[in-house]
Amino acid sequence: MNARPIVATFVGVVFFLPLYLVLVNIFKPSAAVVADPAGLPFPPTFDNLAAVLNRPDHLFTFGLINSIAVTALSVTVLTIFSAMLGHYLARSRHWGAKVAMGTLLCGLMIPVPVIMAPITTVLKWFDLMTTLQGLVLVNVGYYVPFGVLLFTGFVKSVPLELEEAAALDGANRFRVFWQVVFPLLRPASASVTIFLGVWIWNDFLTPLIVLGPDSGTTVTVGVYRAIGQYQSDFGSVFAFMFLATLPILIFYLALQKNFVKGLTGGAVKG
Amino acid sequence: MTQTMRPPARVKARPAPPRRRSGRFLPGLGRFALFALPGLVAYALFVLVPIGMTAYNSLTNLNPFNPPTRFVGLRNYVSLLGDTEFRQALVNTIIVTAIITVLANVGGLLIAMLLDRPTRLYVLLRGVFFTPVVLSSVVISVIWQAILTDDGLLNSALRGLGVDEPPGWLSDPGLALYSIAWIMTWQMLGFCVVVYLAGLQGVPRELNEAASIDGAGALQRFRNVTWPMLAPALTINVVMLLITGFKAYDQVRVITNGGPGNGTTVTMAFQVVQTAFVSNRIGYSSALAAVMLAIVAFISVVVLRFLQKREVSQ
Repeated sequence: MNARPIVATFVGVVFFLPLYLVLVNIFKPSAAVVADPAGLPFPPTFDNLAAVLNRPDHLFTFGLINSIAVTALSVTVLTIFSAMLGHYLARSRHWGAKVAMGTLLCGLMIPVPVIMAPITTVLKWFDLMTTLQGLVLVNVGYYVPFGVLLFTGFVKSVPLELEEAAALDGANRFRVFWQVVFPLLRPASASVTIFLGVWIWNDFLTPLIVLGPDSGTTVTVGVYRAIGQYQSDFGSVFAFMFLATLPILIFYLALQKNFVKGLTGGAVKG
Repeated sequence: MTQTMRPPARVKARPAPPRRRSGRFLPGLGRFALFALPGLVAYALFVLVPIGMTAYNSLTNLNPFNPPTRFVGLRNYVSLLGDTEFRQALVNTIIVTAIITVLANVGGLLIAMLLDRPTRLYVLLRGVFFTPVVLSSVVISVIWQAILTDDGLLNSALRGLGVDEPPGWLSDPGLALYSIAWIMTWQMLGFCVVVYLAGLQGVPRELNEAASIDGAGALQRFRNVTWPMLAPALTINVVMLLITGFKAYDQVRVITNGGPGNGTTVTMAFQVVQTAFVSNRIGYSSALAAVMLAIVAFISVVVLRFLQKREVSQ
């Protein structure tokens, strides 16, 4: 008698309970949430979801647009910058490269609250406070060590002979990098995109402070702003959260497959 | 590793041709400017310069609404020693960090061993445990707030079961901090599960079989075969959780805002942000931030080195 599947399923169900409560209560009217929180939503109502999409203050829709713009821009710039920097540092034999690498690795452990106040000062120098561009730049600076860490590790698995061959064929460094090296780094690019995409989408403190209370927010900060207004109307809060999470969840699930394919497809071997 | 295995002659001969060739198009400095500078400038502007400013500001009484700013030396740090709010934040942070590190590691290891089977059911369950790791801590906080608040889903259920006065999970000053720690554990559990599963899959079958033939029981096999092989996974999980605990902010901000009562759930990160952006005492907040950074740096370097030494010695 094997108890493992029963125990595993039981533990999994208990663990999943909070998420189950969210999923069922989105589709219930407020009264039913309080009366019967764990019951299935029959008949389901879509009022909660519709209310979030049709908010008069557009907290969700504007937040969604901001989140997509900030995440997409940050991740794109981060992938390009950290691939170039990671490749440069991995290949350079100059002592300065080691110093730069060490300094970048220190940045991996610095918590955001420690540097939040000076970050706002730096943004004010460039007049970028409360702008999406400012938020993108902060993300790029803060997450570049993580990108570099992943890319340098991966660059070492790309044979130097490939780059030499391309250089001998007359390609300059720029072409060697973009046409030979970068395509081979695809698995690293995929991991950087997945990790940073999820982290930046989910970030709370940085957009909360950088974008400020008056201008628009990201959807994640929008969830925080929404709970103050809904108080204990859990159905509406859950609907907001669900819609705010859905895009990044789809992104994660879609890319995760790609990522596994990239690792197993022999892309590294060239 | 691979570099040390290469014959030294080839390493010496290698860099010459491409370097000379590319030099025509992009001299060394240009290459640096093109490839390295963009990332380095962004990092310098938004991490290095702010670190320097935090260090400098911690030696001043900077408050944008209360000029003039003066250099006060180490006075902020001396004030920290007698600051009871700081002491409470430090103790709270240590409690939260200790709880999540122990619970998520123990729970994560047990669940990983439970799910260490290749069939569909277990793969699905891994996904279940990993889901909260992908969600925002704001979302996690709101879910648990709805469950644990006084008239929330848990207490409604408890009342339904006949409990007249269910606990105030988030409103009882003696309980709220533990509720926060529990919520963080729930979110980080899946991370530990995945790391331990990867570690378990690296334990060679033959080792366990050999130990089994030699007469080792399940417990002995775990202690002497599996557990030593999990040392790298333990290192990752412990360091990750210690750092997560020490920078805990989101959950406090969303769920309790430092309350109930007098700062019963204030963590160091929360105090740093409140002092800077609510009280506007940037100078004092910078000293707090510097202490917090020192602790995180200590964990990252000393604990990491200790655990890695343990990996090697085993």
